Amino acid sequence: MRYNPVTEEILAELKEIVGEKNVLSEKEKIEAYSHDETPKEKYARMPEVVVKPSSTEEVQSVVKLANRELIPVTPRGAGSGLSGGAIPEHGGIVLSVENMDEVIEYDFDNMMMVLQGGVITNNVQEDLAEEGLFFAGYPMSLESCFIGGNIAENAGGGKAVKYGVTGRYVMGMEVVLPTGEVMELGGKRVKDVTGYDLKKLMIGSEGTLGIVTETTIKLLPKPTKEVALLVLFDDPDTAISTVPKIMTETGIIPTGIEFMDRRSVQASCEYLNEHLPYQDCGAMLLIEVDGAEEEQVENDYFKIGEICEENGAQEVYVADNHTTRERVWDVRRNIAEAFMVVSPEQSLEDIVVPIASIPDLIPELDKLSEKYDIQIPCYGHAGDGNLHATLVKNPEHSMEEWYEIEEKCLEDMYEVTYKLGGTISGEHGIGSKRKKYFPDAVSETELELMKKIKKAFDPNNIMNPGKIFDLD
Amino acid sequence: MKIITPIKQVPETSNVKMDEETGTMVRDGVESIINPLDLYAIEAAIELKEEHGGEVIAVTMGPPSAEKAIKEAIAMGCDDGILLSGREFAGADTWATAYTLSRCIDDIGDYDLIFCGLQATDGDTAQVGPGIASFLDLPLATYVSSIEDVHIADDTTYTEPDENYIELERLLEEGYEKLRMPLPALITVVKEINFPRLPTLSGKRKARDKDVTPKNSEHIEMKEEYLGLQGSPTRVVNIDRPKVTRGGKMIDARDESKQEEAVEELINYLNANELL
Repeated sequence: MRYNPVTEEILAELKEIVGEKNVLSEKEKIEAYSHDETPKEKYARMPEVVVKPSSTEEVQSVVKLANRELIPVTPRGAGSGLSGGAIPEHGGIVLSVENMDEVIEYDFDNMMMVLQGGVITNNVQEDLAEEGLFFAGYPMSLESCFIGGNIAENAGGGKAVKYGVTGRYVMGMEVVLPTGEVMELGGKRVKDVTGYDLKKLMIGSEGTLGIVTETTIKLLPKPTKEVALLVLFDDPDTAISTVPKIMTETGIIPTGIEFMDRRSVQASCEYLNEHLPYQDCGAMLLIEVDGAEEEQVENDYFKIGEICEENGAQEVYVADNHTTRERVWDVRRNIAEAFMVVSPEQSLEDIVVPIASIPDLIPELDKLSEKYDIQIPCYGHAGDGNLHATLVKNPEHSMEEWYEIEEKCLEDMYEVTYKLGGTISGEHGIGSKRKKYFPDAVSETELELMKKIKKAFDPNNIMNPGKIFDLD
Repeated sequence: MKIITPIKQVPETSNVKMDEETGTMVRDGVESIINPLDLYAIEAAIELKEEHGGEVIAVTMGPPSAEKAIKEAIAMGCDDGILLSGREFAGADTWATAYTLSRCIDDIGDYDLIFCGLQATDGDTAQVGPGIASFLDLPLATYVSSIEDVHIADDTTYTEPDENYIELERLLEEGYEKLRMPLPALITVVKEINFPRLPTLSGKRKARDKDVTPKNSEHIEMKEEYLGLQGSPTRVVNIDRPKVTRGGKMIDARDESKQEEAVEELINYLNANELL
């Protein structure tokens, strides 16, 4: 597909639509829009122009213009993605929803709210806490990410064991299609089987089918008590084999079960100057339970903690107030950042397997680590079977060697994952980062059908082209 | 070795809201936790116990719900706890609080050390620790950042006055001060002293099974006129919000056509304040 460049005339027209100050074209200003949280050197692409519309109408006009002139449009939230979804693979226009950050309606009678795509997810939580409500989406980047991006990627996170992922709470949305039409999907109806569920198709479509300008999300009563257990184990096997038992033997569904191997724990604790006795521990689990009754939550965490003790835990720490809970979650949340300090050359993976298969996965990763002579720290959402195994470049390897190792090691890792009934991405998406590997993850029939769907939504292939798969 | 740690229950302050009219903190629905600075005192006490043997007893004065603070201290590793709770204690200022706690500590008796946090995060007075030392006529070291050595004679039937001592470092504004103090003594600690541990499940189990029966002036000998509001020489006459004196100056340069103007304004401002 050949695209047209953004000419002076197009720039003038864009300025006409969104106002001069919302059109950026200077190199130093648009550089920030050339990458997300994937390694810059490898994945960054410069846009030709960044536009920041403030309304659905403005989004619509920009998209219509792009469709008419055959200019690619890459929708962008906070840029905290991990698959290159917000990177302008083919240059053209980056459409940032950062100015669309209004809450449109609090509808407490229906326990829902309506908001624009550029609202920061965490800000929503702060407003809702006063009403005793919360939005159950909980991506790890919640302090910066936007709700629109959460929907585009169907973001997961640390509370998915009990609450599921973002998509479960999206009731309705307003979408600007690649052809420029505006479409309302869903609404405030709890049940709706009127035709195909296109709303669900939009969720997790990585910005390739349209731009979510507004959304209606479902709210839940906020649990009044949350307790996190930080459990230290001798080795990853003992930790991981405890996970299915927590789920099956206690009759309790924790909000999350997070796993961290020795390397992850050490990197994060050193980064945070956290003095937990992590030196002798081979892996940690972070398990959280919540509820409305303090006594119930206490019973729950005792039961889970005791299962851990029976399975050889070195120590079970109990964080039952905000301060201590933040302290233990910080260890988990800062792993990725800590590794960027240790070694910026890495590939953060997102493999997902059936939860009962995790114990089989860990030794396979160890084998790969040995085979390719690289570190593969592993952490993630063990309770969902979703692990962020991360390939970290060996400083002794050249960049050329590293890129070769990265590619081969990923092929091997994905192979193992498929064998265990898993797949290559649980919550980060395919984007540009995993595009090469995507055809192996789905059947030919499925891939062809997806391409047909893409063409039906976006006949000129202008909406976030070069993501998930390439059109022939 | 017997160590006592007086602690306080305070509101969890990461998300505190103020009542605009009264200027006081909204406490409804706010979680109560052990004063964060007291955690360093508890940790210091437990570390000493682990090294030298003995016991650590946490003491707090507060409403019946402050039992939670005692249980949390036990879950961290304290051996026992005493909750002072009664109507007669209500409204106590730092003087009356120090008096009440000192009576309780005296009642426990036979202690070697008392560890306090530097101050509470809600009142910020840093007076109760030194107040207790004063009522008990104990040597006092504040702002303690490190404990170098504790020496307790093996034969406790008779000891030279200098035989039981603690060596420590105090954090001063421009350096450290090394001290050797006879025991028993009271010290208040700063954050530099250690990294407080998290409560464990076995600790929580111990705390759950522990009966913390509240004590009051009927159980411990105290002068009634020194307790609570009537025993407090402090009177809160007015609560005022401090004026923010470090106001910022915003120069709007979002509009590109105004940027030159904005730069000029900034230069003028910096010049006028002799900052350039």
